[in-house]
Amino acid sequence: MHLAGQFVRRILQGVVVVLITTFLIFSILRIVPGDPVRLIVGGMAPDNLVEEIAQKMGLRDPIPVQFGRYLSQVVQGDLGNSYQRPKNGMMGQGGDFNANMDVEMAEVSDLILERLPYTLQLAGLALLISLIISFPLGISAGLKPKGFISKIAFFISSVFVSIPNFWLGIVLALFITIKLGLLPSIGYQNFAYTILPAIVLAVETCPFIIRTISVSFAEISQEYFIKSGKVRGLTRNGVIYRHTLRNASIPLLNLLGIQLSTLLGGVIVVEYIFDYPGLGQLTIYAVLQRDFPLIQGIAMVTSALYVGLNIAVDLITYSIDPRLES
Amino acid sequence: MSNLLSVEDLSLKDRSTSNNVLRNVSFNLREKEILGVVGESGSGKTLLSQAIVNWLPENLVISSGEINFLGKKMSAMSENELEKEIRGKEIAYIGPNAINSLDPTYSVGAQLLEKAVSIDKGNTSKEILKQKVISLLDDVLIPSPEKRFYEYPSQYSGGMMQRAMIVDALLSSPKLLVADNITMPLDVTVAAQIIKLMRVLRDKFNTTIIFSSSSLPIVREISDNLIIMKNGSIEEQNSTNEITSNPKSEHTKELIKNTPKIWSENINFQNIETKPILSIKNFSKSYKVRDKNKFNSFYEVKAVRDFSIDVYEGENLGIIGESGCGKSTLSRLISLLERSDTGTITFNGEDLSDLNKDKIKNFRQSLQLILQDPYNSLPSRQTIGRIISEGLLIHSQLSKMEIKEKVLSIMSEVGIDQNEYNKLLVGKSGSFRQRVSIARALILEPKVIILDETLSSLDQKEQEMLLSLFSDIQAKRNLTYIFISHDLAMVRKSCNRIAVMYMGRIVELAKNEILFDKCGHPYTRTLLCTIPTLDKNPYDKNLYLMDGEPPDPTEIGTECSFKSRCPHFKNNKKGSTDMGLIEIQSGHWVDKCGVDCGR
Ligand SMILES: Nc1ncnc2c1ncn2[C@@H]1O[C@H](COP(=O)(O)OP(=O)(O)OP(=O)(O)O)[C@@H](O)[C@H]1O
Ligand code: SF4
Ligand SMILES: [Mg+2]
Repeated sequence: MHLAGQFVRRILQGVVVVLITTFLIFSILRIVPGDPVRLIVGGMAPDNLVEEIAQKMGLRDPIPVQFGRYLSQVVQGDLGNSYQRPKNGMMGQGGDFNANMDVEMAEVSDLILERLPYTLQLAGLALLISLIISFPLGISAGLKPKGFISKIAFFISSVFVSIPNFWLGIVLALFITIKLGLLPSIGYQNFAYTILPAIVLAVETCPFIIRTISVSFAEISQEYFIKSGKVRGLTRNGVIYRHTLRNASIPLLNLLGIQLSTLLGGVIVVEYIFDYPGLGQLTIYAVLQRDFPLIQGIAMVTSALYVGLNIAVDLITYSIDPRLES
Repeated sequence: MSNLLSVEDLSLKDRSTSNNVLRNVSFNLREKEILGVVGESGSGKTLLSQAIVNWLPENLVISSGEINFLGKKMSAMSENELEKEIRGKEIAYIGPNAINSLDPTYSVGAQLLEKAVSIDKGNTSKEILKQKVISLLDDVLIPSPEKRFYEYPSQYSGGMMQRAMIVDALLSSPKLLVADNITMPLDVTVAAQIIKLMRVLRDKFNTTIIFSSSSLPIVREISDNLIIMKNGSIEEQNSTNEITSNPKSEHTKELIKNTPKIWSENINFQNIETKPILSIKNFSKSYKVRDKNKFNSFYEVKAVRDFSIDVYEGENLGIIGESGCGKSTLSRLISLLERSDTGTITFNGEDLSDLNKDKIKNFRQSLQLILQDPYNSLPSRQTIGRIISEGLLIHSQLSKMEIKEKVLSIMSEVGIDQNEYNKLLVGKSGSFRQRVSIARALILEPKVIILDETLSSLDQKEQEMLLSLFSDIQAKRNLTYIFISHDLAMVRKSCNRIAVMYMGRIVELAKNEILFDKCGHPYTRTLLCTIPTLDKNPYDKNLYLMDGEPPDPTEIGTECSFKSRCPHFKNNKKGSTDMGLIEIQSGHWVDKCGVDCGR
């Protein structure tokens, strides 16, 4: 009924957002200097050959025309092929003239699907760690804003906020992997390789989550329907679990929806530092190699993820608080 | 009979300031008694109630005395015992803040059930407890309780929430029910229904009740015995009859003297049938509201329906009605802050419907609207002088000096000291702020002032003072007032003519004395019978007070909109059609009524 209508509307809005993002990325890639064809054919190739190939690839057409062509491909489920990555996984060397013109190029969707699970695993673990740290701290700080735990929570948040993620990544890798040999960190062989990068990401998101939880808990605790629970004859814990937590989770869910973008930004840096084979690392190489289809595909997938998550957050908050649904 | 509760020499202290906020309060309460507690705002009614349920604000402590419940000292009970046996169990509490008492994210039923389960500790099945909740909802006269069970707090009206909170209190079958100011936020008709309900419930469930309110007439109606409080201590206690007929303390005498009389006091208004200064014909206004249950569809709320009235120069016209009847929409329409969908408005013989800019500008000066809320309707960062001069700065070409002179003279006219000219409003009382609003309106030398609930947030004394200020100004300036209000006692004192509004329409219009003594419409009788007063009300509640609340404004059809609450309506009839006013006597207009409804 109404919720379904709302849902359809949000999805349509989401599609528009994804399209706009993709178009922006698409245009910027083509406006800023740096010709992918030069990288494809190699530094030694003559200029007229570069021009010829660029024309053949359609890169000299007006941007809207190119974008239209790209979209018509995308709606058929085809994100295109990478400019640089061959199907067999071997990378051509930039200097070899025409080295990879006759090799079959990997499909962008395959590249993304192959990397996405690693990134999701990393982000999921990071989120889990930060929730495990933030929940007890945030809740106790929110329930007793002047208490001892509140001070600890504030201290931890301040420290975490001021640690740069690349620095922490390097220090952890040096200390825990190399000095102590406790956890592996560079590359990926098994799940253990996710832990250190996840900790770095968690440290980055923790302060926001702690703050949101403690502020919304403190606010909700002041509501009359919470304060009067005692005189209605409900138990203190019952009120906290069933009412304070539930109401306070709405701002938290909204924050998580928004925090995803911060998390994605962090993922790029952290994956690069730890040489972790996720989407972030793929992005960096794609940008360095000016691999247009790959960059576009990643942009589209991540913005779709972002939009989808926010729709999910909204639907969940609506189902918690029916008043929001308007 | 034995004492259920005895309070001995109870004092409460504020820990941070060491002030005693409640001093040496002692009384006994027998089983099944209803004890009324009356006192002005701040006299300690809430603190006493909260002390009895053991739910005091953290900074307050009992500094002396004892509360004994069923012969047991409460101070000797552990917090655990209090939580398990007393608070919300044997002693239940309901306060004025019903509308915020439940979690907005769960249905009302779910939360009442939550309490039932927590009291029952798993002895009874959930299904049986749910039936219990529903049957209690039925007992407090919530319509279609099976359906309402699943609705959310935001879907309940204030009156229904208060009923739901009564259910919440009754779930534990408490021996003692402490009802603190529970009618405060409610409309008179709804408040009267709640009081009637409390009495029925007392008889049905054998509950002892402590009922506090600042209104003596309200408390008198329900209580067997009375306590009069002032500044945290008891002034006088006795049986209700004895106190109201034979008060001993000066304070009580004063209180009784200041309680508005409705019928026993003579009113005398001159007959004002001059030329109409403002004449409104067939105003209607509907709003489109998004339908929450359907995608992309709207329904119509008819806020004002076919409203016509002539306002005579120099008169005080009262427009009364319950909340939601369209009073504020009407005041916005009359002051042209909003356009009506249909109808015409004529001011001083000039038709304003053509929206001529100059005419409207002129009209905006001549008709001023003063709003209810003295706290949010004035800018807080401007000096009082600046606030008052606002209109002149926009509308006139006077020099700064001339403006200041004018402001100062108006200030003294409304009783504001000239020293306040350069001060801010911070910390000023409600009545002071309303004086500033009045000065701000008067500076433009209006002909008509609309007072939309202007006095409702003020206490009795402040109201009295402002009313006499109004009549002084009126005498000097030949002003016309339109009082829009739900307060019948205030309108009785101040208005020569009164229009009664229900669901956006006028159902009756008459001179003050005719309306109060010989009203013609069933709704007017319902309103009048609910006025809390110490004199004898000629309209009997048992005959005219019906249960139920105004219908959903979206569901108004062409039939009489009062039929759902009208004592004359016979169920097998279809109901009359709203026909419009008929003049049954010179100047006494009543909605055509009782045609097809069985009356
Ligand atoms: N937590 C508190 N700490 C200190 N003083 C308080 C506290 N609560 C109330 N008071 C003071 O105690 C006095 C009595 O307050 P109380 O709320 O009992 O009045 P009331 O009779 O219920 O008034 P109302 O009719 O406005 O509800 C007031 O002077 C108030 O300012
Ligand atoms: S028309 Fe009938 S139902 Fe309506 S108010 Fe009059 S008597 Fe009552
Ligand atoms: Mg109170």
